[in-house]
Amino acid sequence: MDEFIKVTFDILSFSCIMVLVVSGLAIIASLMGIFNFAHGEFVLLGAYTVFVFRETGLPVWSGMLAAPFLVGAFGLLLEVTIIKRFYKAAIAAMLATYAIGLIIRETVRGLIGGKFWAIEAPIEGVFEIGESSFSIWRGIIIILTIIIMSGCYLFLTKTNYGLKIRGAMENPSLARACGISTNKLYAFTFAFGAALAGLAGALVVPLYSLFAELGLRFLVQGFLAVMLGGAGTFEGPVLGSAVIGAMVPGFQWLRVEIPFISYLLSPVFAEVFVFLTAIIIVKFRPQGLIKKGRI
Amino acid sequence: MTEIKKSNVNDTSRRSFLKGTSALAAAGWIGALTGGFVLKPDWAHAAGSIKMGIATDITGGIAPSGNANWQTAQFAAKQINDAGGILGRPIELILEDTASDPGIAVGNVRRLVERHNVDVILGGITSSMREAIKNPIVKRGKTLYIYPQLYEGQECTPHLYCTGPTPYQQCAELIPYLIAQGNKRFAMPSANYRWPQLLNIWTKRIIEEHGGEVVLEEYFPIDQVEYSATVGKIKSEKVDHVFLTIIPPGLGAFTKQLYETGFHSNGGTLSCVYYDENSVNYVAPRELEGVYSCLDYFHTVDDTFSNNALAGYNEMWPGSNYKLTAGTAATGMYRGIKLFEAGVNATNGDLDREAVSAAIDGVTNVQGMGGEFSMVPGTGHAAMNMYVAQANGGVWDIIKSANQVPPNECA
Repeated sequence: MDEFIKVTFDILSFSCIMVLVVSGLAIIASLMGIFNFAHGEFVLLGAYTVFVFRETGLPVWSGMLAAPFLVGAFGLLLEVTIIKRFYKAAIAAMLATYAIGLIIRETVRGLIGGKFWAIEAPIEGVFEIGESSFSIWRGIIIILTIIIMSGCYLFLTKTNYGLKIRGAMENPSLARACGISTNKLYAFTFAFGAALAGLAGALVVPLYSLFAELGLRFLVQGFLAVMLGGAGTFEGPVLGSAVIGAMVPGFQWLRVEIPFISYLLSPVFAEVFVFLTAIIIVKFRPQGLIKKGRI
Repeated sequence: MTEIKKSNVNDTSRRSFLKGTSALAAAGWIGALTGGFVLKPDWAHAAGSIKMGIATDITGGIAPSGNANWQTAQFAAKQINDAGGILGRPIELILEDTASDPGIAVGNVRRLVERHNVDVILGGITSSMREAIKNPIVKRGKTLYIYPQLYEGQECTPHLYCTGPTPYQQCAELIPYLIAQGNKRFAMPSANYRWPQLLNIWTKRIIEEHGGEVVLEEYFPIDQVEYSATVGKIKSEKVDHVFLTIIPPGLGAFTKQLYETGFHSNGGTLSCVYYDENSVNYVAPRELEGVYSCLDYFHTVDDTFSNNALAGYNEMWPGSNYKLTAGTAATGMYRGIKLFEAGVNATNGDLDREAVSAAIDGVTNVQGMGGEFSMVPGTGHAAMNMYVAQANGGVWDIIKSANQVPPNECA
């Protein structure tokens, strides 16, 4: 029983980390049709914000609160200056965001001296159930992820503004004809996605450490999650990232617990296996787990 | 005051230039510009200066170590020049950035050999870098090569000298000590590359010889971020000691997850043989507390020569982020320059590669960081003092030292 709770917690917590990190990417990819290659660097900027706050003597949690606003504002700035010029050219947009990401990453690398920095969580420590102990911060991340994702879902489906966003994405010219300013909506959506990425980076950085490739580490898995879940909806990529996030520790647990599998799966191959499984699913469900048009 | 000349920018004062570039260097921004720095001595000799090529990672992922190596090289050269040079001839340093990228490095290293015609090349930090540049230096370049980093052993190329500790040197004292402390069941979580794989062969042999047992040995992708299954296994297998060879970026996630299983509070211990004075940056204090390391030098080693050298380094580079430590290969770099000096002294100033190489092979009792070292003839490796230390509030307490531990390589 203890073992079961432990495995469930581990799978759930990494699943939530993936959802949190991918959600910003998902919003921008699904609602705007832009694959934002700078997403990993927005995550990095969120993490870097926490570092800057800590270095100036402010508490870590204040950095986490500020990160979504600062990164969101940065996203807004990028949208009005650069991104908006690329809506009509998806491939060029990928290249442009890739370039932006590269600039951000190398700048941050310079600012942190190319090093790795350990960052403490606002609440360190563990809680215990039976024999097993669990990280409090991972527990908090699970709860926060559920709250944030529910909030996003309700915002997009139940509010007037959410309806406008979806309308503007579905049929921009009709939306403009109805008097909706699509430019403003695009800018807002992009900033919102950036803010989510910043928040994700700020929340997960205590689990790892701050380094220039922090966001890059999740980017490939993030794109796979969007493919797996199906671009075009909000809940599709979220579900996709939850599945990818569950497979990562899931395969490792299978490998450790079942002797037969441990011969077949080295830790390195277990990582590869996540991709393999996802690609096989995409092969049989090319439209993704959830079809477009549900939201 | 020495001054720095860059081949395409003339006469920039060293301090201001380096200050400005060091931050950018870490970002990889000046990589494309570097055509090699030439650091000329501030006095001259009729026979010309002795040219040392430094090939290290000023930019890219290994930049924090590479910059420490470059600063150490400048410090060692300044010490020797201030004391009158090598047999009256001053040392000139020529830096090429290997940019943490073996592909870029090969071309840059060839420039040291062909354009600058250096008398020796020191550098390379990762094993992949050493593998990439050793042939351009030693075989095609017919130049002496000194490799400064602690590494996995088995490098026996002629005219290539290793001045960092070998697996045997890092484990021979540490492992028996750990087992004597009551650690019987070992886990070896590792990054999946050459250094952990070969180091672990030695470690495992010494563990088993001393009555210990390895219950888990696994190799992970270098950037793996999720270790819950492995730390769960470490707990359920009742492991006493974790011999860690995971490196950043995977390291942060592992140490945190291990800590959170209650491994440390239940009496488990951990060792990591590249942890040094820099580790406080990338390992959280509570995860570092009580961890063992074994290296050729710690700042807490009380040795007059080392104390003076460390003070001199800190005076030359006040407040620098790049410390003179063992894990970054900086102590190996210092040892390498002293080794070359001793070799040239022995040949009476003859800089011919074969002559210097033959002399270096027999060099004994040279002062370095952490105490004297001596080459073991015919092996290309050095016997040196090794220190087992334990992290205590950000400081490494020396708990055991061993004099002149043999490298046990290439015999």
